Amino acid sequence: MRVLAAVLLLVLAACTPSTPAVRLKMLASTELADLGPVLAELKKATGVELVVEHRGTVEASRSLAGFDLAWLSTNRFLRLRGADPELASSIMTSPVVLGVKPASRAVLGDRPTWADVADRAALGQFRYGMADPRVSGGGMAALIGVATAAAGTGAPLRPEDVSCDRLQGFLAGRAFDVPDPVGEFARRSDVDGLVAHESELMALNASGRLSTPLEIVYPRDGIVLSDYPLMLVEPAHRAAYDRVVEWLKSPGAQQMIAERTWRRPVEPSVVRDEKLRADLGTALYFPDSQEVLDRLLLFHDRAGEGRQVIFVLDYSTSMRGPRLAGLREAFASLNGFDRFYVGETVTIVRFAGTVLEERSITVRGKQDLDALLAVVASDDLQDNTAIWAALDHALRLARGETAVVLMTDGENNAGPSVNEFLRVGRGEVPVFPIRFGEASTAELDRVAQASGGRLVEAGAKSLLEAVREIRGCR
Amino acid sequence: MREPEFKVIDPRRRFLLWFVPPLTVFVTGLVVLLVSGHITGPFRSVTVVRALFASKRDFFQDEQVKRILMARGYQVHVTPVGSRDLAEKPDLDSYHFVFPSGHVANEHVKTRRAGKHVVPYRPFFTPVVLATFREYAEALRKEGVATPHGQGEKPLYYNLDMAKLKGLADVGKRWDELGLTNGNRVIVQSPDPCKAYSGATLVGFFATAFGDEPPQTIDAAEKLALEVKPYVDAQGQAGEDMAPKYFVPEGRTHAVIAVIYEHQYIAYQLRQKSVDTERVLLYPTKQHQSTPELISFTPEGDRIGELMMNDPDLRRRAVELGFHSLSWNGESADDFGTYIAGRGLPEPPAGEAGRVQLPKAELFERMLDVVGDCK
Repeated sequence: MRVLAAVLLLVLAACTPSTPAVRLKMLASTELADLGPVLAELKKATGVELVVEHRGTVEASRSLAGFDLAWLSTNRFLRLRGADPELASSIMTSPVVLGVKPASRAVLGDRPTWADVADRAALGQFRYGMADPRVSGGGMAALIGVATAAAGTGAPLRPEDVSCDRLQGFLAGRAFDVPDPVGEFARRSDVDGLVAHESELMALNASGRLSTPLEIVYPRDGIVLSDYPLMLVEPAHRAAYDRVVEWLKSPGAQQMIAERTWRRPVEPSVVRDEKLRADLGTALYFPDSQEVLDRLLLFHDRAGEGRQVIFVLDYSTSMRGPRLAGLREAFASLNGFDRFYVGETVTIVRFAGTVLEERSITVRGKQDLDALLAVVASDDLQDNTAIWAALDHALRLARGETAVVLMTDGENNAGPSVNEFLRVGRGEVPVFPIRFGEASTAELDRVAQASGGRLVEAGAKSLLEAVREIRGCR
Repeated sequence: MREPEFKVIDPRRRFLLWFVPPLTVFVTGLVVLLVSGHITGPFRSVTVVRALFASKRDFFQDEQVKRILMARGYQVHVTPVGSRDLAEKPDLDSYHFVFPSGHVANEHVKTRRAGKHVVPYRPFFTPVVLATFREYAEALRKEGVATPHGQGEKPLYYNLDMAKLKGLADVGKRWDELGLTNGNRVIVQSPDPCKAYSGATLVGFFATAFGDEPPQTIDAAEKLALEVKPYVDAQGQAGEDMAPKYFVPEGRTHAVIAVIYEHQYIAYQLRQKSVDTERVLLYPTKQHQSTPELISFTPEGDRIGELMMNDPDLRRRAVELGFHSLSWNGESADDFGTYIAGRGLPEPPAGEAGRVQLPKAELFERMLDVVGDCK
């Protein structure tokens, strides 16, 4: 027995690292609070004790001052400001995805995209929670992901891609955005899903706090992957940092991270739980411009305010046939990110020589969209084209934040001329004319410019594409 | 009646019974550790050598390399850093040697060390490659952009026509238009060209799509850089060292075409039980080889450099880690091909169509600044 004890003592003595104990201050993303047990092992193995302060990644990225290390979901926000520390090493990954209650899963359809989620959210059929993107990396990643999918360029977002606000439909389904979305979701019963890191959703499922676990959906049009780099903020602690990184990347530590925190290891040899093997599909590129992020936050912050869009539609006899058919098809095809959304007020003004019909609907659900289609389906076409009189009428209907879309195929031949129309101050409502057929480019462009809107030529593309291009522009 | 018998136990024997077994364990262990190079004996001191590394740090972080060096009395403390950052580090002089990845950084380091101890060693080289996955390489093959190197059913290496790849980018081609379920555009992802040599090499690769002659003047370099810039910018925010992420199961999600070094791929394949035929390499027809220089600042650094050039164990290990070894006269040795063929890996294309002619360091650096908007 004593022999055994002595042998053990010798073995232990040989294994204990002779490294000095160090205490470092680390700033970490909020969700990394689950790393406690891993950091305790780290201290045992390396002698480095990490005293952690938690903040949302976006908030934390504003300043790392006063910390020795930082461990955030990404260093991309820091890099946009040119403030990323020189040494950074990715320790683990987790994608920002969607957790859905099994009862609500069917509404999204098979293998949904972010566009499908936005579509159902706009209709009021799907309500979700997310983290506050002004504070949290997960929330910001969700916003970037959805906006990149909405732009549909297959490329990183550029400022011009987010000149129009295409997030409102998606954001109409947002039940809450709070610093602790997981806790909030667990407390409530009226929310269908949660946008968060895969790791947070799996941990929630494993916690037993939900009566039925969430189904995890990896949107087909792409996800944003957080890669959790550990960064050295204070260069004087380089030796300890190197030790910490080496240990965290060792197979044993990687295994522990995967098992206890549901994050994916960066060490390929680690055997993973079945749940951490799901194919993530395509990752969306990360924009290289702070301006893009600022704009997305602006759109995010003003979501939910009652908005109005007014369509001024030419129903003169020249529209008969394919042109009117194209117009109806464009309206019927507005879905995904372009759908009219819950809370939005849609006004349709049909005109020829005079205003033929005016109809306003504040969207509450699918039946309201059907009513709008019925207005557009009208076969009541008349002679003459009084473009500026109709536009003047429409602008008087504007309430609050409004945009006007004007579609015409002809020359103004009744009512006031464009000069007379422009002589009167028109306020701040932007007008987006869509030109097709014989309409005058010069006149429409003048009005668009004067109002702060933009002329779109439907000649080069389908009417639907033209409508989509300006959907959401304010 | 017999006298009671006292059994006398020899106290020395008792002590030995207690002491000998653990002593045996200790001595055996010590001998094993000494022989294997994990520790050094009391008769030889260990010299700790501090070094600054770019992507070639994998070499000195390898357990066997550490053991071989330890057996020779050296422990190298590695601090990783991007290759271009390396040359700019304010505390450069505090290291025994540095190991940048490319010629621009090499030149910079030597300039900064002008007048001081500075000795270069070139132990091996490795080509810069574009790493991708089977279905993406095949999609490029169908477009006539890539051609398989070798006849096998599942080639691991493809030659890549940069001009044709540029053509796909010019028309904004997306992978789903080439039959894949990926709505992203056909682009290459690399580390930041301002910071990492492999990122800078991507600039060199795309430059070949605009002509073979490297620019000779600052004006020509800037003009070429502006032409190349959109193809590098297309990826949005650049990443860091792409290799670790390429080899994880989520590799496709991180990047479908990533700029890495060939040795990282070869070393990965040699670690697998059977060859991974999903991960394949694209070699631009005009290849670029990174010949990292171990630049020594001290006698301790010189000693490491000499070991790298002469020590048979270290040189064998370099080949096992995927590097093509170089001899003192700069000739490439043939042990690389022999070794990997013995391990079931075909020999990669050797750059029959020539090398990328990179501009002179100062011109190339200017190009990188323009392409990467380097601060």
